[in-house]
Amino acid sequence: MLDKQTTPDPNRFNVSRATLWLDRAMGWIIRAGGIAVILAVFGIFYFIGKEVVPLFHDAKINNVASFSNGIESRVLGVDEWGEMPFFYDGGKSLIFINVADGKREVLDVSGLTDLTVRSFAYDPVHRRIALGLEDGRVGAMVINYERKFAPDGSSSIAPSAELEPWQELSHGSGPVVAVSHGDSGDGRVIVAQRQAADGSSQVSILKLAMKRGLIGKGKLSLVAEVDVTSQLSAPSSLLRASSNASMVLIATTDGKVHYFLADGDGVSKRQVFQPHGELALRQLDFLFGGVSLVATSENGDQAQWSLFRPENQGERLFGETKKLPALEKGEIFFAASQRNRTFLTGSNKKLAIIHSTSGVARWAGTLDIAPTTAVIDAKGEHFFVADAAGAVRKFAIHDPHPEAGWRAFFGKVWYEGGSKPVYQWQSTGGTDDFEPKLSLIPLIYGSLKGTAYALLFSVPVALLAAIFSAAFLPLEIKRVVKPVMEIMSSLPSVVLGFLAGLWLAPIWEMRVPSVLMITIMLPISALAMGYIGCRLPPAVRNRFENGREWLVVLPVMALFAWLGWHLGPLLERWLFIYRDPTTQQAIADFRLWWPQFTGTPFEQRNSLVLGFMMGFAVIPVIFTIAEDALSNVPKSLTAAAAALGANRWQVVRTVMLPVASSGIFSALMIGFGRAVGETMIMVMATGNTPVMDWNIFNGMRTLSANIAVELPEAPVGSTHYRTLFLGAVVLFAMTFFMNTLAEILRQRLRERNKIV
Amino acid sequence: MSEKSTISQPFATTGRSRKGEPWVWLTAAGLTFGVLMALGLFILICVKGVASFWPQRIELLEIKGDTTRQIAAGIPSQERLRKDAQGVEHEELQFFHGNRDLQAEAFRYYDRSQIVRSTQPQEMWWVERSENGTAFIFPKQVESDGKTIQAGDPAFEPTLDRVLKKGREVRSRLRQIERKEIGAISREMEALNRAERSREVAPGLAAERRATLQQEFERLQKETAEMRAELAKSRLLGSSADGREMVFPVETLLNYFPSNRAGFFERVAEMVRRMSNFLTEDPRQANTEGGVFPAIFGTVIMTLVMSLMVTPFGVIAAIYLREYATQGMLVQLVRICVNNLAGVPSIVFGVFGLAFFVYFVGGGLDQWLFADKLPTPTYGTPGILWASLTLALLTLPVIIVATEEALSAVPRGVREAALACGASKWQMIQRVVLPASMPGILTGVILAMARGAGEVAPLMLVGVVKLAPSLPVDGIAPFIHPERKFMHLGFHIYDLGFQSPDAEAAKPAVFATAMLLIIIVVALNLTAILIRNRLKKRFAVSSF
Repeated sequence: MLDKQTTPDPNRFNVSRATLWLDRAMGWIIRAGGIAVILAVFGIFYFIGKEVVPLFHDAKINNVASFSNGIESRVLGVDEWGEMPFFYDGGKSLIFINVADGKREVLDVSGLTDLTVRSFAYDPVHRRIALGLEDGRVGAMVINYERKFAPDGSSSIAPSAELEPWQELSHGSGPVVAVSHGDSGDGRVIVAQRQAADGSSQVSILKLAMKRGLIGKGKLSLVAEVDVTSQLSAPSSLLRASSNASMVLIATTDGKVHYFLADGDGVSKRQVFQPHGELALRQLDFLFGGVSLVATSENGDQAQWSLFRPENQGERLFGETKKLPALEKGEIFFAASQRNRTFLTGSNKKLAIIHSTSGVARWAGTLDIAPTTAVIDAKGEHFFVADAAGAVRKFAIHDPHPEAGWRAFFGKVWYEGGSKPVYQWQSTGGTDDFEPKLSLIPLIYGSLKGTAYALLFSVPVALLAAIFSAAFLPLEIKRVVKPVMEIMSSLPSVVLGFLAGLWLAPIWEMRVPSVLMITIMLPISALAMGYIGCRLPPAVRNRFENGREWLVVLPVMALFAWLGWHLGPLLERWLFIYRDPTTQQAIADFRLWWPQFTGTPFEQRNSLVLGFMMGFAVIPVIFTIAEDALSNVPKSLTAAAAALGANRWQVVRTVMLPVASSGIFSALMIGFGRAVGETMIMVMATGNTPVMDWNIFNGMRTLSANIAVELPEAPVGSTHYRTLFLGAVVLFAMTFFMNTLAEILRQRLRERNKIV
Repeated sequence: MSEKSTISQPFATTGRSRKGEPWVWLTAAGLTFGVLMALGLFILICVKGVASFWPQRIELLEIKGDTTRQIAAGIPSQERLRKDAQGVEHEELQFFHGNRDLQAEAFRYYDRSQIVRSTQPQEMWWVERSENGTAFIFPKQVESDGKTIQAGDPAFEPTLDRVLKKGREVRSRLRQIERKEIGAISREMEALNRAERSREVAPGLAAERRATLQQEFERLQKETAEMRAELAKSRLLGSSADGREMVFPVETLLNYFPSNRAGFFERVAEMVRRMSNFLTEDPRQANTEGGVFPAIFGTVIMTLVMSLMVTPFGVIAAIYLREYATQGMLVQLVRICVNNLAGVPSIVFGVFGLAFFVYFVGGGLDQWLFADKLPTPTYGTPGILWASLTLALLTLPVIIVATEEALSAVPRGVREAALACGASKWQMIQRVVLPASMPGILTGVILAMARGAGEVAPLMLVGVVKLAPSLPVDGIAPFIHPERKFMHLGFHIYDLGFQSPDAEAAKPAVFATAMLLIIIVVALNLTAILIRNRLKKRFAVSSF
């Protein structure tokens, strides 16, 4: 049949087109897929990074409008939408300018027509201008804006001004030359300075209370008027009532600031401080929250002072918390945000936007005018500046994350209410004027503390186990032991965390001395067994010395663990005796003894429990890699050492350990990576308090636990949300660095072993 | 090891070096300790887990207070040592009393010396209810269809069984009506509203249909009311240990078990019944009672979707790295990065999943496909699809590393033989390399599944909830709901143990759930190890 065939098909050795096509197609598919997967993996870096980067952007400001109002604007205010600023120069009318169409509207305040205003001060929070009159009366005018919607959907703003009742001052004589007004909602505080004809001046503080009617606003009635002139060290130069009416600050010409507290008991002087030495103050204003103030001297030195309880003192007093960059000498302007702790300040043509928590300038630059007044709108999206000649500029601010920055995340920050700069994490608070504390340092510290205690326990156990398994254990047993360890590494950490927090912690809380006893007794018992074992006759030694030591050690360890457990209470009765400070009664209780002895707290969910439970996660990781490294030590080396007369321990110590050292080191680093990133055990067994100490008997709050707990509640795109992402970046960087180092070491080890 | 022992044997009788022997023993202790830890944990979880199902004997306790004596029934749940302010240790026993409708605290500690007497009366019952949890009672009588049968009557238990059976049937019918039929009506109503708003349906037509639906709804409501009234006619009466009357309407009565009278095998049967209920029922009582079926379902679906996503991509990436890419510095670098990714904390993947899948991809999908439902997000919120994808990314390195290892283990000779026979590169990979490395890839997949099933931290960010009202796969079109949130065994443990108002009451359920999760993970791991061992043998034969 064969030889009768016709000439063979010349194409018979060609590959079918379909095969070639498929081959090429699969080649491309796999290339594309492979590269896509690898790119996706690197996309992780990109997407997490993308969320973090905006945290480090400066504020952006944008000049959106320039116009002129035609008067010397000494007061500048604005509606909450930033659309219609008003200007006041102490006359009888207010000037409103609609930024959009430039329309100028003059509003004559009817109540002012036959009065002479001598002094005024503006409170942007309540949009109120405090007024002091020539005839010695004080009062205020509130500017209201009403938004009106036309049927076609367009809207317009109708401004109005409302005069509040005048208050007669009973102290002093002459015109009111300075005034300031605070409003707590159900009361007012007014501070006013009158200048008599002979040049002497008197300062008095008025307290008013609001009697709430059933409908509408109540009536203000005078509670007290206190003449504080005699309590001042020099004539006053600046008056400031806090906008929540709880404090009055009076700066005097000798550079001192007198702090009066206006509480339920009346008005009392609490403190005198001197922000800039003898230099008189040019500016003194409260920041959002009413706890901090910014004071600027006539030389332009600027500092932030906050109320806090100095150590060992009961009362909150002002203290300097931050020195701010000095301004140029000149006319100083200042405006505080009503949403966060940002303020803008400057002099001459320089302007800076500063966030007071970190004290960092969010924006700094030069304007084309030299403003005398400035105001930030209620939403914090725009600000206006106006100069003495009436030129006005409107700016838009884009600064979504003013609280962020390197200093805020990694530096010590002096927060409001604190007595010194600290690292602190407290991302959310109960009130609107809460100051977020976003230092990542306590969390990194917590992560490292948890990791350290985990490694402290895991490393010895894992390395000892790895040495025994690699050097002495018979192959049959090793085949069982290694999978057991591998399975251990995949135990869900949520189970470990639950056991640590709910099962182990309550047991160990009662039995710390027992745990200590066992920790000491177990290794000693093993060493003692070895000491005795090698002195037995060789016939006995042969029975268990070839990798069966563990059989002997097992019951002995169990015995000593049992002994240790029951000896613990004895140890407690002997050593850990707490003395009740009042009754002098001696109580043997470690939980009480530890805080008394060391001054650090004892908590149920502590690092001891955590370290042990983390062992389940970390030991197998270290064990597996270290065991591999030790097992892969070339046989020729160990055999040579044995041939030269080294006994089995000497082979391990002098040959195996040095050769495998970089592998063991890389095992430790992988173990570190596993421990640092562990989340569920940390969430469940640490108590989650961001403390910064190395006390083994309290907990911590780790980066990973913090993310797991807080991220689901953080609003998308907020500073808090992005800061948690930054935490993830830090975590990622730590583990990635460690793992890369470990991987490189491992590869070098592999090369070296190949050469041998 | 074996080599060394053969070397040292000949000198064994002549005395041996003692140097360093204690250290050798210390290493032995280290290994023993490590292995014991692993086994101990496993045994502890299993013992505690099984114990949570075991129907213990109910103890009738006489407790002496400072001035009073009281009688209480319960089962011992745990012991503890307590130190009082004087440092004196007290041994305390915790009892579970149930009967939550009579007393607020279901668990109580008693000093051992307080318990004057404890007996196990034969007639004491363990009663399961769907409200207020377990009760321990002396049964008194059962009322059914106007007849009353006293306890002790031989017809007592058969009647109760019949009543319970009927109760179960009616309840399942009720659930069917409430979940499916009324649910369908409300869904149609919603769709009707939407259609009307977007002017897809004439208002007259809609009103007509709405009226029909309303009628249907009222009919169903009437039906359920009748069934409830029917149920209310039957009930069990009993008294608590201290003699207070208790009434158990059949509507909430689930089961009873005469724990003290039952023999060993009856108790085993009861335990099996409880286990199967645990596996198949929905949770009750803020998850502390009932079963974990939705959590099992969620875990399984999520793991399956995850492996379906990760396997092809991981294998393709590995084939690319091993077979197609030019081996050089760059590929080596990529390999190191992929290896490292396996060590990146899982929470970081969760963070990424939230930013990328949920807000970026999901938010984008919503803008594009579900704009009519905005601002209520459809895909732009955590859900099972995003959770699966996040975990797929998390386990990707596991698969890549395992596959690469398996591919590189295929001997060069085999490849060259295939090529020499005229196979194209893809044919070689498809018919020779892949089949040979299949067990290795499978091992990787199983290990990835084990890791994925046990991971909780990233899920907390991308879709797990403590109680999901509906499963991600059900009988309502379109049957698969990848946007739904889901329950997960691991999160169930966390939630029960740390977020539930009564952690004590939740403990048995937590141990049971932990046992289930551990068994799943260990079983997956064991399978992987077995496959790997077989694979080793296979290559030992086939290598040249």
